[in-house]
Amino acid sequence: MPQTSTAKPGNGRNKGIFNNTTGFSTLITVTVLSLAWLAGFASRLFAVIRFESIIHEFDPWFNYRSTAYMVQHGFYNFLNWFDERAWYPLGRIVGGTVYPGLMITSGTIHWILHTLNIPIHIRDICVFLAPVFSGLTAIATYLLTSELWSRGAGLFAACFIAIVPGYSSRSVAGSYDNEGIAIFALQFTYYLWLKSLKNGSVFWSICTALSYFYMVSAWGGYVFIINLIPLHVFLLLIMGRFSQRLFVSYSVFYIVGLLMSMQIPFVGFQPIRTSEHMAASGVFALVMAIGAMKYLHSLNPKGQWKQLLILGGLIAAGAVFLAVVLLTYAGVIAPWSGRFYSLWDTTYAKIHIPIIASVSEHQPTTWSSFFFDLHVLVCTFPVGLWYCIKNINDERVFVALYALSAVYFAGVMVRLMLTLTPVVCVLSGIAFSILLDLVLREDDLPAPQVDTEESKSLYDKAGKLKKRTHEPTLPPDTGLGMNVRSVTLILFMILLMLFSVHCTWATSNAYSSPSIVLASYGNDGSRKILDDFREAYGWLSQNTAEDARVMSWWDYGYQIAGMGNRTTLVDNNTWNNSHIALVGKAMASNETAAYEIMTMLDVDYVLVIFGGAIGYSGDDINKFIWMVRIAEGEHPKDIHEADYFTERGEYRVDSEASKTMLNCLMYKLSYYRYDSGGSPPGYDRTRGALPGNRGFKLTYLEEAYTTEHWLVRIYRVKKPDEFNRPRLPLAKRTVPTSNSISKKTSKRRKGMIKNKPTIVKGKKAVRLE
Amino acid sequence: MLPAMAKFRFSFIFLLFIVIKCESVNVDTISSDIRFKNVDRTIDISSQLVKISSKLTLENTGGTPVKNFLIAVESAAKNNVAFVGAKDSNNKDLRLVETTVSGYDYVRFWRVELKDALNAGATSLVTVESVFTKALLPFPTAITQQEDQLVKYIGNLYTYTPYYVTSQKTNVILNTKSVETFTKVKPYTQQDGGFQYGPYPAVKPFSEKELVIHYKNNSPFLTVTRIERLIEVSHWGNIAVEEVVEIEHSGAKLKGPFSRYDYQQDHHSGPASVRSYKTLLPASASDVYYRDTNGNISTSNMKVKKDSVELDLRPRYPLFGGWRTHYTLGYNVPSYEYLYQSGNDYLLKMRVVDHIFDDMQVDEVVTKIILPEGSTSVKVNLPYPVTRLPDSLHYTYLDTKGRPVISFTKKNIVENHIQDFQLRYTFPRLLMLQEPLLVVGFLYALFLCVIIYVRLDFSIHKAEHHHKD
Repeated sequence: MPQTSTAKPGNGRNKGIFNNTTGFSTLITVTVLSLAWLAGFASRLFAVIRFESIIHEFDPWFNYRSTAYMVQHGFYNFLNWFDERAWYPLGRIVGGTVYPGLMITSGTIHWILHTLNIPIHIRDICVFLAPVFSGLTAIATYLLTSELWSRGAGLFAACFIAIVPGYSSRSVAGSYDNEGIAIFALQFTYYLWLKSLKNGSVFWSICTALSYFYMVSAWGGYVFIINLIPLHVFLLLIMGRFSQRLFVSYSVFYIVGLLMSMQIPFVGFQPIRTSEHMAASGVFALVMAIGAMKYLHSLNPKGQWKQLLILGGLIAAGAVFLAVVLLTYAGVIAPWSGRFYSLWDTTYAKIHIPIIASVSEHQPTTWSSFFFDLHVLVCTFPVGLWYCIKNINDERVFVALYALSAVYFAGVMVRLMLTLTPVVCVLSGIAFSILLDLVLREDDLPAPQVDTEESKSLYDKAGKLKKRTHEPTLPPDTGLGMNVRSVTLILFMILLMLFSVHCTWATSNAYSSPSIVLASYGNDGSRKILDDFREAYGWLSQNTAEDARVMSWWDYGYQIAGMGNRTTLVDNNTWNNSHIALVGKAMASNETAAYEIMTMLDVDYVLVIFGGAIGYSGDDINKFIWMVRIAEGEHPKDIHEADYFTERGEYRVDSEASKTMLNCLMYKLSYYRYDSGGSPPGYDRTRGALPGNRGFKLTYLEEAYTTEHWLVRIYRVKKPDEFNRPRLPLAKRTVPTSNSISKKTSKRRKGMIKNKPTIVKGKKAVRLE
Repeated sequence: MLPAMAKFRFSFIFLLFIVIKCESVNVDTISSDIRFKNVDRTIDISSQLVKISSKLTLENTGGTPVKNFLIAVESAAKNNVAFVGAKDSNNKDLRLVETTVSGYDYVRFWRVELKDALNAGATSLVTVESVFTKALLPFPTAITQQEDQLVKYIGNLYTYTPYYVTSQKTNVILNTKSVETFTKVKPYTQQDGGFQYGPYPAVKPFSEKELVIHYKNNSPFLTVTRIERLIEVSHWGNIAVEEVVEIEHSGAKLKGPFSRYDYQQDHHSGPASVRSYKTLLPASASDVYYRDTNGNISTSNMKVKKDSVELDLRPRYPLFGGWRTHYTLGYNVPSYEYLYQSGNDYLLKMRVVDHIFDDMQVDEVVTKIILPEGSTSVKVNLPYPVTRLPDSLHYTYLDTKGRPVISFTKKNIVENHIQDFQLRYTFPRLLMLQEPLLVVGFLYALFLCVIIYVRLDFSIHKAEHHHKD
């Protein structure tokens, strides 16, 4: 029976000792959840086992660096941290431009462990934080799903989310990023929201707001919550499902959540000043208006109030909308940001903000990646959605909205696949639970105690509900024969098995690469580790001046700061587009023009990534066209994208490439003295071409270090006195003095002053006229 | 009360230490009875160190037996001397004490105590070994990637000694034929990879004559600027050793660019650079790790040999002149090989510093020994004088009052300093049970709390589902 234990999953656990049946189901629940936790944790450890306990990729390095800073210097110093190592010469106020939830979480864990004398390095805490939180996410998903449907469905959902690649892609060990803890916060907030909506209790609403506060502190995706919950409320209002519970839970959540979210320095006054948050305030006003009407209605319960109520509601909605629009025009409320726009208009970013479009995870999602990330769930979750809509109640409206909006966002950006994954797991859990209910009905027969409880739960229209859940399950049940049942069961078990195999495979092969350590496999299966990134950063950190400034494309900013401990010009916190464009311009200009920019920016070293020697495709030459585009956006006079393509519009590096391309700094730094590689020396294996411009010399820079596999190349920018000095042979270095013929006569050779004043000691000098 | 006691004890030990140290600075006189009948000196400058080993034939020309004699190091080299040792003809170590002689403040002296007193007219053979660091100066001080490293050795043509030397010979080992310039004082011969100077007869005490050799030396010029060696003793059968090493290439600095192309193309490129070196660990070492702040350094190999574990360590990048690197190397050894026990008394016998690479020179070593929690009355016995650092406490898993940490430091260390220290302490064996009991007690308390909590009803009003079954 699906509705059995939905009402009080929490109570069931406490009373396990008194009640045998509940005790047994609690045991199952706890076992399944802990196994899901374990499986989720274990399946995220591929990277640690294959490589080592290390922070992955780009953003995690910043998070790790700031966590380490916080642990070392304390929380308040972290909030006031001005990082002069980033965005030279601007610097970055880290405390005010970061979501500190992640750092606080791991910092707290670190503090607790160290208070207990458990000396675990902060790096290991950071590495394993996301896998640990995946278990918490599984539990939160279980709670959410059991709130929506049943505990059985909850267990399914928990198992799904524990291993589904769409979520593990962002939470493998080492991927120390906001998303790792934010998905837990997201699911938990939604669970608490449904709980508070169901009970209408202030307690649960406050809990929701607290959980929302944690989410705000952890991830910018909190905007999703603060729009989805109002949307849910709004839809409930439209559906005429207004109730005191809704009124209490939403208004408490909104007020407390709003106040608390404004405590995060990075968020600040945004919740009342930007359009992204206006839906919440609008709905709040609307709920207040409707609440007031309802109150008036309760004073005089007569028929004609109904029209007034609808009319009043509409007027209130219109007034709120108008007010927001007017305030936006007046400039009090900031209009939607570019990132938000790009969610609605997929081509917006490409035209207006190339820096957003240049990030690979901001590309639209392909169909295959839906299947890759969700596998069978992508087919089953509509079933769950259909059941939810069919047996609608307040909470299921929410999950339907959640599903629809998340599907849309996931379609817009690959990155937002992450928000879709939890709801897909929830709905698939429901679908599988229903299916098992169908085929295993006989086993469920001795469970009559359910119905008594049903009427006492706090549902509105509880009676209706029960009927609805029975309707779809009962009639087909009678028509299913034993064989059909077993075959279906086996088929679905195979499906689930395939799913888990796929999940493990996808996590292991696609998402478990640290990307700062590369591995290549020889023909005999032997593994070779390409550790060039750390080689270069290690070199930077040890063999350059403490305050050396390194120019590189922004992708590597966090890594240079985190591993190399050197000042960078731009980094992955792409807050200053014109600064990035300046770096892009330097890379895209010829050496002389680039030198000017580099002197202007006090650059000491230039770092480029060059994959030509080993066939690494994510290198700077392949990203170069984005540098050109971003530079062109800010400096349209100097940089033209078309110059870097051949006449036929091709992007090439060989002898047919355009002249601008062959002479730009990025090209030269990548191919300078590059003569190893494939069979013709100097063959670029990434682009499969022989570079068009070879054997050139650098005037303004010199090679400072190149890693073993040529992946990272570091150049030193010469000081003005080091170049352009004509080389004199040793013999000619003496200044010829005696041979020179002076035009002065011997008389005049000695310097003398005309009308020299004669000086007598003790008297004023008198000038002779 | 207890910490005060400990403090008192510590200060007492410290005071004692100072007193002993003060006493050791003693004053000697130069005996005119002693003469060196023959000195056969070998100066090995083929590595980055200057190793001088002299075979001295002592002669007592006086009337009374002589029990000791002095070794002197000239003022130019006195800051470079890292190690001085003496052996008698049976290859047994002789006791050495640093000393001073009034009127010769600029000279460093060591007094060698002979095993048997040297009778009047008798002779005796003593071998004195000394090692100098940073005595080879790269000249030119900066070279390009392709150039060979040239170094200059400036030494003394004669054995620097407070005694009259009847006859002496000096062998210089270079292991290279390419010599730019060298001192020519007859008689001398140039052989394959070396020189022979002498014999020079009748050299007066404290005579100095400059010996300069400017030659090619591409052997690794690596200086360990600092090594912190941490030894953590566990009575559960394991001793964990961790060394944090900072290394600098102290040879001629790299001038101009580093070209990977040249470096890859030609294996003779960068002759003065260091690609890798070998570290020898104890034969029983296991669970070796080699990492730095950015994680594991994947370029290393380990070979388990009969009498040692050989690590082929490659820094992340080749080390050119002036380049630095740092890493952490750790391993475990079983405690039965190093920890001796009798009742509650324990004796730890380990090396003050271990091998890092051949012909190593270490600027500063800090050795820390973490003893098990509850160890008391610690006594350290060191093979050579070191600076004892204040004791501290270290907290790790399941510690309550902290583990005592004994630490000491020494500057200017070479391979000859790889010697054992002895550390005695008392540890009540019953304390071994403290940590397991702590875990058991905690779990017991936890389960008890849960049991009590579950059996109590905290709700304000009776919930109705009690009658569910």
